[in-house]
Amino acid sequence: MHEGAESCDARSSTPLVPTESELRGFLEAAPDALVLVDPSGLIVFVNSQTERLFGHPRAELLGAPVEVLVPLRFRGQHPAHRSAYFSDPKVRGMGAGLELWGLRKDGSEFPIEISLSPVRTERGVIVASSIRDVSARKLTEEALRQAKERAELVSRELEAFSYSVAHDLRAPLRSIDGFSLALLEDYASVLDEEGKTHLRRVRDGAQHMAQLIESLLQLARVTQSPLTRQPIDVSDLASTAMRRLQEAHPQRRIECDIQPGLADRGDARLLSILFDNLLENAWKFTAHCADARVEFGADEQGGQRCYFIRDNGAGFDMKYASKLFGVFQRLHNPKQFQGIGIGLATVQRIVSRHGGRIWAEGAVDNGAVFHFTIGEI
Amino acid sequence: MTSSDAVLLVEDNEGDEALTLRAFKKHDIPNPIVVAHDGAEALGMLFSAGGHFEHELPRLVLLDLNLPKIGGLEVLTSIRGDARTRCLPVVILTSSAEERDIERGYELGANSYVVKPVDFVRFSEVVRQLGSYWLSLNERDPTAKRGGQ
Repeated sequence: MHEGAESCDARSSTPLVPTESELRGFLEAAPDALVLVDPSGLIVFVNSQTERLFGHPRAELLGAPVEVLVPLRFRGQHPAHRSAYFSDPKVRGMGAGLELWGLRKDGSEFPIEISLSPVRTERGVIVASSIRDVSARKLTEEALRQAKERAELVSRELEAFSYSVAHDLRAPLRSIDGFSLALLEDYASVLDEEGKTHLRRVRDGAQHMAQLIESLLQLARVTQSPLTRQPIDVSDLASTAMRRLQEAHPQRRIECDIQPGLADRGDARLLSILFDNLLENAWKFTAHCADARVEFGADEQGGQRCYFIRDNGAGFDMKYASKLFGVFQRLHNPKQFQGIGIGLATVQRIVSRHGGRIWAEGAVDNGAVFHFTIGEI
Repeated sequence: MTSSDAVLLVEDNEGDEALTLRAFKKHDIPNPIVVAHDGAEALGMLFSAGGHFEHELPRLVLLDLNLPKIGGLEVLTSIRGDARTRCLPVVILTSSAEERDIERGYELGANSYVVKPVDFVRFSEVVRQLGSYWLSLNERDPTAKRGGQ
C-alpha cells in the first residue's frame, strides 16, 4: 500500500487508459441495467444486469424497440416521449419525480428509476439509460408509511383515552369524596371515632387519586403536545414559577437566587411546567431546613449551556440516582415529604423533547443539584 | 320573555347532580334548580312547546360538557344561535380542564368556564361563589326582566 501511494504521489507513471474491451467489461459489471437506444428507438446495447432484471436474453433485446421493456398500459405514449427527448436530449437524473414501471418477459411489472444521458456519436445521438429496480425500496417506503399511520392512530387513540380519563374518572371520585363527607356531616352522631377515621381515609384516597390523574394527564400532555421553539427568557420563566410557589405557600421563608438575563430558545409552555416541577421539588425537600436556599443559574459544560437548580434540602442517596426520573418512583417516605412521583418524570420528558439531557447530584441531608440542557442554542 | 329565578343544571352524572344540589342547600341558595340529564332534554326544556322554560327563561344555565345524546358545546351553540336565549348566562361547569375545551367554550360564547374540583369542600365553595355572583351580584339582562326580546 505504501509503495503504491508513493508512486501515485510521484505522478511520474503514464495514466492507465482502459482498452475498449475493458470499457465493455465496466458496462457489463455496472450495478444498474444499461440500455443504449438509437434515434429510431431500437436497442443497440444491453448489459448482463438488463438480462437479469427484465428476464430477456440479450439476443431478444438487441435490435428490438425499447418499448418491449415498457408495460402495455404505457407503451402507446412511449414513442412520443422518446422522440420528444431525442429532439432535445439532456442528462436526466435518477428518480426525477416520476413513478416508472418496467415490464419483465413473464409479464410482471416492477417499479424502476431511470436516468438518461445522451451520447453524440458519428451515427447520431445514442441515449444511454441506466435502469434501477426499486422494488425493495418501495416496499420499505410502504412499510414505513403504514408504520407511521399506525403510530398516528395509536397517538390519536391515546389522546382520546387521556381525555376520557380526565373527564370520566373524576366524576366517581367526586362522588366518593363528596358522599363520604356527607356521611361525616349528616351522620356524625351515629359514627364513632374509628368510623369517622375510616371515612377520612376514603376521602384522602379519593383526593390522592385525583392528584394522580392530574399528574398523569400532565405527563401525557407533555409527551403529546407539539414543541414550538421560540426565543425565551429562561430566568423569567424560573422567577415566575418561583413566584407561583411563594404565593401558594406564603408561610415558607426561602432564600432564592435566580441568575438574571438567561436567553435561550425553547418551548415556553413546556419549560414553564419544567420549572414548576423542579422548583416545587427543591421547595418541598427544603421544608425541614432551617435556612432553606434555592438557586437557579447556568454554566458552560463542554461548550454547551447547562442549567442547574440547587437546593440545600434533604438531598438523596446517589445510589438511587437512576430511579429519580422514573414514573411513580419516590425516594422519600410520603409521611416526611408529600408527592406522587410524576414530577421528575415529567421534567425528563420535557428535557428530552428539547433534545437535551438531565442528571442530578446529591447527598443525604446535603442538598441536591439538577443539571439540564435544552439542546440547540 | 321574562326570566325566572330558576337555575338550569345540565348534568348527566347522578352523583354530581346530588352533590350540586347539596352544595346549593348547604349555602342556602334559594333559587329552584331544574335538572336536565342530557343535552337533548336541556334543549327540549328551553325550546320546545310545553318545555319547562317555554315562557320564562332560567336565570342561569350550569352546563356540563360531556353529555349523552347532545354534547354541552352543541347545547351552547343552540342557545347562542336563538334570539330568545342569545343573552342567557351560561356557565360551563365540567371536569375537563383541557385547553381545547376551554377555548371552544369561550369561542361559542360561554360566560364563564369553571372546573369542578374533586374535593367536595372545594366543589361546594365553587357552587357558593357561582351562586353568589350569578344569582345575586350580577345584574340580569333588563330585556329579560321586562319581558321583551
